[in-house]
Amino acid sequence: MTGFVIRRIGQMAIALFGVSIVVFALIHFVPGDPVRIALGTRFDPEIYEALRERAGLNDPILIQYGNWLLAAIQGDLGVSFRSGQPVTGIVLQRLPATMTLAGAALVIALAVSLPLGILSAIRSGSKLDYLATTASQVGVSVPDFWAGIMYILVFSLTLSWLPPSGYTQLSNDPLGWLSHLVLPAFTVGLISGSILFRFVRSAVLEALNQDYVRTARAKGLSQMRVIRDHVLPNAWIPIVTVVGLQLGFLLGGVVVVELIFAWPGLGRLALLAVEDRDFTVLQGTVLYIAFIFLLINLIVDIIYGWLDPRIRYD
Amino acid sequence: MRTRPMWRTLVLLLTLAMIVAACDSGESVDVEDSDTTTTAPPGSDTTSPGATETTTEQTTPEDDEMVLIAAQGAEPDRLDPHLTSAYASFQVLENVYDTLVQPGPDLQMEPALAESWEISDDNLTWTFTLRDGVTFHNGRDFTAEDVVYSYNRIMDPDVAAANAFRFASIEEVVAVDDRTVEINLSRPTPNLLVNIGAFKGMAIVPQEIVDDGSIDSAPVGTGPFRFVSQSPDQGIVLEANPDYWRADEGLPHLDGIRFVQIPDATVKLTNLQTGEVHWIDGVPPQDLESLEGDSDVVIQRVPGGDYHYFALNQAREPFDNPDVRRAIAMAIDRDVITEAAQFGAATPNQTAIPASNFWATDYAPFTPGDTEGAAALLEEAGVSDLTIEFMVSSEFPETVTQAQVIASQLAEIGVTVEISDVDFGTWLDRQGQGDFDAFMLSWVGNIDPDDFYYAQHHTDGTFNFQGYSNPEVDALLDDARVETDQDARKALYDEAARLIVDDASYTFLYNPENVQAWSPQVEGYEVRGDNAIRFVDTQLAG
Repeated sequence: MTGFVIRRIGQMAIALFGVSIVVFALIHFVPGDPVRIALGTRFDPEIYEALRERAGLNDPILIQYGNWLLAAIQGDLGVSFRSGQPVTGIVLQRLPATMTLAGAALVIALAVSLPLGILSAIRSGSKLDYLATTASQVGVSVPDFWAGIMYILVFSLTLSWLPPSGYTQLSNDPLGWLSHLVLPAFTVGLISGSILFRFVRSAVLEALNQDYVRTARAKGLSQMRVIRDHVLPNAWIPIVTVVGLQLGFLLGGVVVVELIFAWPGLGRLALLAVEDRDFTVLQGTVLYIAFIFLLINLIVDIIYGWLDPRIRYD
Repeated sequence: MRTRPMWRTLVLLLTLAMIVAACDSGESVDVEDSDTTTTAPPGSDTTSPGATETTTEQTTPEDDEMVLIAAQGAEPDRLDPHLTSAYASFQVLENVYDTLVQPGPDLQMEPALAESWEISDDNLTWTFTLRDGVTFHNGRDFTAEDVVYSYNRIMDPDVAAANAFRFASIEEVVAVDDRTVEINLSRPTPNLLVNIGAFKGMAIVPQEIVDDGSIDSAPVGTGPFRFVSQSPDQGIVLEANPDYWRADEGLPHLDGIRFVQIPDATVKLTNLQTGEVHWIDGVPPQDLESLEGDSDVVIQRVPGGDYHYFALNQAREPFDNPDVRRAIAMAIDRDVITEAAQFGAATPNQTAIPASNFWATDYAPFTPGDTEGAAALLEEAGVSDLTIEFMVSSEFPETVTQAQVIASQLAEIGVTVEISDVDFGTWLDRQGQGDFDAFMLSWVGNIDPDDFYYAQHHTDGTFNFQGYSNPEVDALLDDARVETDQDARKALYDEAARLIVDDASYTFLYNPENVQAWSPQVEGYEVRGDNAIRFVDTQLAG
């Protein structure tokens, strides 16, 4: 197990290195120049050249990458061209908001999808199954920006129950934290929940159709025990996989929802960095997201072994 | 044994999710403590003890009643006034910093940190007398040396300040004594006051915050409000400066301001309607009509100094032919464009400068939508089957709408418009490389005619990407730059403006209104023609 984890961490380092090359290449081959964007209409060729020189943008591209990589290995992700602030600090500042939203959305997604998915599978073909499947179809199809705006119009503007946007720290104002979190968390959580629901339902359905379930029923086990002891343990693996993917996706920041709810998360940061071609910030953000994704994958793999004794890592 | 994995996993997943959600408080504490936080650091050695205390307090002025919450649509990039060129940053900095002079309500330059000034007979030396008893937010006295330092910093090529070009005619800035600054010029500069005071990009900053590197994260100025903190959840927090140089007038009235960033325009408006914020920096034009008569929202619209235009690439055929450009300028109908793009919250204009500005040129040679005249001109020029690629960016959505209207109008004279909607980074790149048929954008915040015309239409202009060159216009713009008699100067600009319009160097479309909205609680705030956001006179009622 320890060997497995060490091997995986080594693979993660290689993957992150690859990601950094791809991000670097992409932002340099896409048209757009951070200095021109920063100067905007106050463009002056002399200032432009001086700023490019100072930011090291006139160096050959491999030198630029090499310089960045050398510093990054030592833990220095550089300074944002846009704001002049250290990238690590910028990313860390946005982290709490993203984690809050991702965590809350996943709680909602699981709370909706697990019970409904299991029930739908057990009573496959029933009215409940039909309703839940339709609802999840709607949840997957409705665009997040539209749903977000609708929630704001209904729950903020019309009913005045919740603030339309913004983010407060839990430590500053717990009630404010919760009230600001509800709308974005439901916007994201219901969509994630709809996706999870479909996986939970099909995983449970598949397990239900196995021979050992028929055997268990033939033994005279109650429905409850069949589900608990024979169906769910076998349905967990695909469910955990999808939950891991969803959490990784949520922790990467949900750009559009963050934009609508003025949520100061990583998605918005990445969008600003792309707009401004702020290479160091984009690189830092993407590396963080990639790291989280890989880490969650690792955790999911470890959970596999725990859930299914047949899976062992040596 | 067999039942455990299920419950364990369920519990594990939920706990994981909750831990992630609850990490919030722990994480943020770390950030506050690390040196990457942008809370104002304790003042420098020169700081008075009184000023340091306020910055170490963790409370925000939110608890007080008179804290205005202002919502801005864009995020400030950095807070160094000499290095930023983002309007969102200047919305904040307008209330933190001062310039020697500043635009008054009518946009005429009025005293600020300078009380008065004299101009030598040869127009080459300007002597400014500085206001007495002004202190920076860190407690240190403001002196002539601060002006010398700030201006030298802007002019320093290594600093690469975005507004260095405004100081091109300044040879030397000298501190004669603590209260007197002398600016020596290489040529007469009638618009010197605008150059050094049009907005806070030419602010007077104390050297110590540049030296210790805190200018980008914790600005220290002489203005009515001082910087407290900046964070993703609170936005930018300012508090009243009790030592403001207009404190004897009771200014500022507010105890503080909190700038929050809300990118979506509809959500920003909803925040105002639900009372979450007191003021917003714009209203979607399509919502203007529906908000009329809404007692929860006060909307003010004033004629602005901005203008929208498009330009054709004169390095490409057939746009090098002035008749072709003129034909296109004739065929469009500005009334229709204005209505479609701004829902009437704008005034069509065939020149750049709005009628409300002293420097406006009353000139409108083109009949709106003169398709017959335009078609005849095109035929004379021997141009048929013309296709123009219009480069626009949906980051400025009105340019997309305008291009669509223009496309339908030009279709009537047989010209095909292909709209190319690119992100603004790409837009600027292609503009800089001359890789376009036509581009469309707006110019914002100009006051002096030199700002309106020189960079854009002089052969050597830094923003003349359309490649316009008319020796007559060059001579007029060069002469007007140094003409100290105001009426003579205006006559020169009028002539230049007519030539620029006739040659269709730019095709000017309209001047949008500056529109801002606030809650009925807000008193004493006025939308300004230059869109500067000044809360010094503002109050919050009950």
